[in-house]
Amino acid sequence: MFSEILYVIFLALDLTLLSSSRLLHCIRLVALQGLLIGLMPLADAVLRSELRPSMALMAMVSIVVKAVLLPRLLSRAMRRAQVNRELEPLAGYSVSTLAALAMVALSFVMVRSLPLSEYTTHPLSVPVSLITMLTGLFLIIARRKALTQALGFLVFENGITVFGIGMTLENSFIVELGILLDVLALVFIMGIAVFHINREFAHIDTDRLNHLGDWSAQEPELKTEQDEEE
Amino acid sequence: MMTLALILAPLAAALLAWRDTRGRLAVRLWLPLAAVLHLAGSLWLLASRGDVAAARLDDLLGLDMTSAILLTVTSTLFLCVSLHTQLWLPAEQAKARRDGHGGLLQSHRVFVPCLLLFLSTMTLVISARNFGLLWVAVEATTLASAPLILFHRSGSSLEAMWKYLLICSVGIGLALFGTMLMAVSATGLEHGGLSLSLLAEHRAQLHPGWFKAAFILILVGYGTKMGLAPFHTWLPDAHSEAPGVVSALLSGALLNCSLLGIWRFLSICPDGLLPFCRQLLVALGLLSLAVAVFFIIHQPDYKRMLAYSSVEHMGLAAILCGIGRWDVALLHLCGHSLIKMSLFLLAGNVLLAYGTRAIRSIGGIFGRLPRTALLWLVGVLLICGTPPSPLFVSEWLLLTSAPLWLTCLVFLMLFGVFAGMSLACLKLCLGEDGEARPAAEDVCGAERAAAVPAAALGVALLGGAYLTWCLLSGQPIPGVN
Repeated sequence: MFSEILYVIFLALDLTLLSSSRLLHCIRLVALQGLLIGLMPLADAVLRSELRPSMALMAMVSIVVKAVLLPRLLSRAMRRAQVNRELEPLAGYSVSTLAALAMVALSFVMVRSLPLSEYTTHPLSVPVSLITMLTGLFLIIARRKALTQALGFLVFENGITVFGIGMTLENSFIVELGILLDVLALVFIMGIAVFHINREFAHIDTDRLNHLGDWSAQEPELKTEQDEEE
Repeated sequence: MMTLALILAPLAAALLAWRDTRGRLAVRLWLPLAAVLHLAGSLWLLASRGDVAAARLDDLLGLDMTSAILLTVTSTLFLCVSLHTQLWLPAEQAKARRDGHGGLLQSHRVFVPCLLLFLSTMTLVISARNFGLLWVAVEATTLASAPLILFHRSGSSLEAMWKYLLICSVGIGLALFGTMLMAVSATGLEHGGLSLSLLAEHRAQLHPGWFKAAFILILVGYGTKMGLAPFHTWLPDAHSEAPGVVSALLSGALLNCSLLGIWRFLSICPDGLLPFCRQLLVALGLLSLAVAVFFIIHQPDYKRMLAYSSVEHMGLAAILCGIGRWDVALLHLCGHSLIKMSLFLLAGNVLLAYGTRAIRSIGGIFGRLPRTALLWLVGVLLICGTPPSPLFVSEWLLLTSAPLWLTCLVFLMLFGVFAGMSLACLKLCLGEDGEARPAAEDVCGAERAAAVPAAALGVALLGGAYLTWCLLSGQPIPGVN
């Protein structure tokens, strides 16, 4: 019962993420998701009374990284780039909400045709993880700001982790730690990149990062001249 | 044990280079020292036929023969790059100081440690014997190499770096989902887990439905990193914006590691699914070839042309995996790495001299950079598979062992690539002078830095000549069954 409540809250967080424009709010929502991800395996283990110290340690590390460190890095990048809102997303907020509903429907329909009952203990875990992954991908595609795209990647990765928890897949300690470390380093580098993009272009709209490519009218030599002027 | 040392040694050197604030020792000492030690270690492992016999079944690290060969290639490439850096970096810095934007170059304290970290993470990819660890390592290579693209801090390199980070991370994220699905397909096993040796032993018992889904996601994920079309979009941008030494590593070493990831999954594929997985690989390989031909013909930018040529060769390697000739694919990867590295280093020298990547505004480099031009011609001929190139042998084996329709298609596209590349190469080497006016010091520096590519191309030529001789005289070709 307790785990079901966690999954439902997780789903609600996904839907809220898709409809909020304030970046700080979004960062807090993702932090909350990180906290829930830390709690989920613990809740399972306590209910089945097979809690091991290594599991508790892993949950602690995961909560520290996902609910404390990552949000801090992101909000610092946000302050340094001086953006607060995603004002004109590529897909508006009402469209996003509709897309969210479509994703929910799609995930539940898809999961009905899978033979899951022999693998997972919670009927909700797989649909929720699929919805979370789709939410993350949607955020990456439908938002302009580089920071929101970084958030989208985190949500996507959260979805994958929820899938692993729901299917009770146990990786070795080193692998779990490595995944967390990778995500942490990725967000760190993305934060630095956002800062540089903001300084170079005075915006962090990734849809305007479109100078490279084979179809652009700009010749390579023009670009180097511009660089020299700067 | 030795494998672990090979991962940790570059890490230690990275730390030392980062601590070195004045930046003299970082480039002159720590970078080549780590490269030499790494090469010595991997040669030792290659000579002792890998590290895997001693490893227990559920070990995380270990080297079989395939990975020992790839490790040696990576290591050799890194040594070449670190030697080339000794010649290229001072010239580049002098140029930046003269032009008055010396502050725009990345500092030693980021550049050298990131290079060393990149080597360490690639070693981890090659030696990982656990699919979870493999994923961690592949993502870590993205993270270590992304800052390197930002060597010239311009807007376009920022754009390339952001695309690289985001597209590759999302792609590799899909691969993580695929890895999880594969763990689900293995839940029926007694031990479970993601260990390569265990899964290879019990591969007949993997659940085929889950494995199919897993393989598709893995192919998309690691295929993104490997530059298979249609997931290659980050590759031309990143490879053309990065400095020559970094593009050489990205193209010559990193793409191999990603293909190794895909091959690891293919090697535990249950027999019933093997035709499906192979067809998928052949289809993506053909698409990559087609995309590469399309963009190489009339390509105005010589570094982008090289990047698309990497897409082409990864497509060929994927086709070779798809028709079940992994041994030839390995040969192809080794040849491609060596030649493509030399070409990217030479391209870096041309960029250093002329300051532009547009073929039209350079015109002909033969008058000013005769050595570079000659090497460039040789390199382009070798990369197109002109005999006696090692790629000629592997492409010949591909054409003779594939079904007829595949042979015809591949042959047609190889011809297209050859036409496009040789046209661009002739224009670049022998054309009329364009509007770019290089400074005499830069030309001098670029000509001086031609030593390493010359040596690498010489080795490729000799090796290729030996392989071609083996092919013609009917001797067994080394490494090919």
